[in-house]
Amino acid sequence: MNPVSPYLAGLRYVAPEVLLTLVALAALVWDLVLRGRDSRKVGYLTLGGLLATGWLLVQQWRDLGASSTGALGTTVLGMVTIDRFGTFFKLFTVGALLVVTLFVLFDRREKKHGIGEYYFLLLGAAIGIFFMVSTNNLLLLMLGLELLSLASYSLAGFHKGDKRSGEAALKYIVFGGLSAGVMLYGISLLYGLTGTIDLGVMGRGSADGSAVGLAAQFALSPVPIAIAIVLVLAGFAYKVSVVPFHFWTPDVYEGAPTPVTTFLAVASKAAGFAALLRFMGALFLVEGVDAAVAAYADRIGLLLAILAAVTMTLGNLSALRQSNLKRLLAYSSIAHAGYALMGVAVMTSAGFSAAIFYLAAYYLMNLGAFGFLLYFEGVTGSEDVDALKGLGWRYPLVSCAMVVMLVSLTGLPPTVGFYGKLLLFYEGVEAGYAWLVVIAALNSVVSLFYYFRVAKALFLTDVEEKPALAQPVLASVIAVLAVFTIVTGLFNAPLEAWSDAGPASLGIPSATGSR
Amino acid sequence: MTDHLLSWITFIPLIGMGAIVLVPRTNVALVKTLALIATGIPLLLATWLYFDLFDKNTAALQFEERVDWIAGIQAQYFVGIDGLSLSLVWLTTLLLFIGVPASFGIEKAQKSYYALLLLLEVGILGVFVSQDYFLFYVFWEVMLLPMYFLIGIWGGPRREYAAIKFFLYTLAGSVLMLVAIVALRIDMGGIIAAAGPSGAQYSPFSIPDMVTLAQAGQLTGAHLPGGGELLGMAFTTWVFWFLFVGFAIKVPIVPFHTWLPDAHVEAPTPISVILAGILLKLGGYGMIRACFPIVPSAFHQFAYVLAVIGVVSIVYGAYVALGQTDFKRMVAYSSVSHMGYVLLGLAALTEWGATGAALQMFNHGTSSAVLFLVVGVIYDRAHHRDLNGFGGLAQVMPKYWALTTLGFFAALGLPGLAGFVSEAMTLLGAYESAQPGFKLLVLISVLGIVITAGFLLYAMQRVFLGQLNPKYASYGDMTTREVFCQAPFLFLCVALGIFPFFLTGWMKVSIAHWVTTMGG
Repeated sequence: MNPVSPYLAGLRYVAPEVLLTLVALAALVWDLVLRGRDSRKVGYLTLGGLLATGWLLVQQWRDLGASSTGALGTTVLGMVTIDRFGTFFKLFTVGALLVVTLFVLFDRREKKHGIGEYYFLLLGAAIGIFFMVSTNNLLLLMLGLELLSLASYSLAGFHKGDKRSGEAALKYIVFGGLSAGVMLYGISLLYGLTGTIDLGVMGRGSADGSAVGLAAQFALSPVPIAIAIVLVLAGFAYKVSVVPFHFWTPDVYEGAPTPVTTFLAVASKAAGFAALLRFMGALFLVEGVDAAVAAYADRIGLLLAILAAVTMTLGNLSALRQSNLKRLLAYSSIAHAGYALMGVAVMTSAGFSAAIFYLAAYYLMNLGAFGFLLYFEGVTGSEDVDALKGLGWRYPLVSCAMVVMLVSLTGLPPTVGFYGKLLLFYEGVEAGYAWLVVIAALNSVVSLFYYFRVAKALFLTDVEEKPALAQPVLASVIAVLAVFTIVTGLFNAPLEAWSDAGPASLGIPSATGSR
Repeated sequence: MTDHLLSWITFIPLIGMGAIVLVPRTNVALVKTLALIATGIPLLLATWLYFDLFDKNTAALQFEERVDWIAGIQAQYFVGIDGLSLSLVWLTTLLLFIGVPASFGIEKAQKSYYALLLLLEVGILGVFVSQDYFLFYVFWEVMLLPMYFLIGIWGGPRREYAAIKFFLYTLAGSVLMLVAIVALRIDMGGIIAAAGPSGAQYSPFSIPDMVTLAQAGQLTGAHLPGGGELLGMAFTTWVFWFLFVGFAIKVPIVPFHTWLPDAHVEAPTPISVILAGILLKLGGYGMIRACFPIVPSAFHQFAYVLAVIGVVSIVYGAYVALGQTDFKRMVAYSSVSHMGYVLLGLAALTEWGATGAALQMFNHGTSSAVLFLVVGVIYDRAHHRDLNGFGGLAQVMPKYWALTTLGFFAALGLPGLAGFVSEAMTLLGAYESAQPGFKLLVLISVLGIVITAGFLLYAMQRVFLGQLNPKYASYGDMTTREVFCQAPFLFLCVALGIFPFFLTGWMKVSIAHWVTTMGG
């Protein structure tokens, strides 16, 4: 057989990745050709490329439906695992990136020229995410993560003249470098203990005995294994900003340009969660994992539950004191990482799908909230909550959409944020984490206080009649997101079916729960 | 039409809200007309339902609609009413309809105001007709947002504080409710799965099914981790307290009542009317419908505690009202006192007690509406509410004085008026309760009646009698609009004082059924 042909056959499955890479390169080259003139053209190219990638992903999702598990039986090139879980996150990444690209294009305060590499970096980060969410190979996972990180560092510091932007990039890179090192060390330990870097093999052990499954190792040397897993978890915790690895988040989010913050808060965080879910699933939950491991799964679950409780509480309490909306949203995103982590901590298939659903909800409402922030930065030139005073009356559409987002972020019906939280609560109680659910519920009350400071500023101050500054594209993006937030809150069957397909395609057997 | 009558009643205000949003901001007349229509049609439909369509000889749910809604957790769109919810549905449509002309004095952002008012009506009606716990909760929460803005935008000087306080208190209660609902849902799922094919008749979120299974002694949390016990306390006890606190905050009963005076004082008059008239009833209704019958064992265990809480609310609320100098704050505390009867009557677990409690909810709805409208009339003229700042108003506003007197007498339970019937029934019901210690509680709560008479008469004396303050000599009497707004409620106070049958007749069978269900 032609030695090249397996690679060519594999290309079919990584077509979205290939296309995205080509678009990224095209964006870079075209920017060179344009010599920095009118970077918007590059932006439109990016939009087109993303739409095409999205179409490919939809096809892929359909093709995967042909298999009973929703996954391709084999890995592509021995590295990439194509399953509905990954495709789901890729689709949402593309969606988020579309919105972020629109944000960049229509950010009133952004330059119109000489920013072509902005789009290239965003696309590069997306490629990183694509590989990160669809591999069982720890090496490729690390590569994807680093590609995402490197692009993110540069994006955070994109406003070269702005001191805060530079500071954000520096902080991000220092924290990021450290955590990547920690994670890599954990991976190397896992490799040393099991003899493989493939998560699938690591979970079950290989048939020919060349690699030892985690179960066998647990019996022999639980302590090094525990250390290795905790180290890897620390790396993920940093990416999704779980306490105590969250310190970089507020500063980076505040300093980075708002579209970049949106990208970091939404796409990058969800990608971190996706990789975490795959990691935990492959090691502890997939079919064929030794029963001895299950006992450890509960302990790791308890550790994650405690982290979740601390993260949501600390995130919410810190957000209470913020007067800067961007920083407020940064702390809120920490709190939401805590909520989503509940779904991982319960260590069940249903818990994982609840977490996936919540992340989808998180995508929707945070894109909207950051879009609102960008809109009003364009109007007032300030990120302060107080600067919003009375603006609700002048910009009713955008402000009402923001109220929908706030309601959803707080977790009130009839929004998708509520349903996501309900699913997490459900799985939490069912798995015996009632205490965690009560903490999370009370946290929603705390979060109401700071979220509604925004609503208060917008509407509870008196009307000032001044001409409004129209930003129609941003306004319609935000309005569409708000409509989605409500519609998926009331009719969530499709989204729920998609998020349920995730764990199944990872090979996690669904327990006979009552849901 | 009658097939989906409840849905029409509930969602016509939502259609009205959509229409109002489309009307240009400047066309205020059209906005008001639309608001009148969108609240008027539900009132007509509810009246038709009450007097013609409703079968008062059965305790079963009527006008049921059942559609599968959220497949993932098997929530249904399941609405239906029985004698317990019927009167409150009608009262809601009436109060909201009167709320529109009562709001004609509002000048600020009128379009948003009426839109939010209609959204509020959707939430309230939805709670009263829901028979699916998920749907119930969704409506329950939908109410909060319009209420927050109605207090926060159109309220008094400390409106921002009052609005967020209301929101935080209610949400704190309802998130605990949500946890309990989730736990109940999981247990229901387990029961249904264990029942095999015969479980298919049940729906895991349905409130009536929860009640049925609780009756059968099955809803005990056996299908949850821990097998019906958590930290040494029974599952039912946890659920009971989580649900109870959620509803108690809404009622509100001491010690969860502190949001109420603030919200009332800051809210504009029509919103205070709706808040006292209907929103507080949601708490009592929630206990009757969706808390006590679902965990009857815990209810029996804590019935005496509930009665004590009720009596404390009666006496403490009245006592604090006595000390108020702000007219509206005084009325607000009187609500705390009056709602205490509801809890006492329910805890007694007798037919009289429960009937009294249900009547009291309705009658407090009408009498508190009158009282808040009374406060609104004088506030619109004097722009203050200091009870000590008035005097002798009877001389310049005789109509106002007459209507206020009637309202005050209804509130203090004068025989012949509605408040008397319900309070007397509650106390009698509590007195004849088989449970020990209730007689003593009734004796203590009579003290509340005395104090209530005291603060109302004392207020009347300060506002209407004595020397006329020359500042107020020029005040005009009540306008036709103001009389129109009060008239229906005063009529109900008188009519139901003489013919309480027009309420009890419709709820009798349902209440008897409820008391039997609860094991009374």
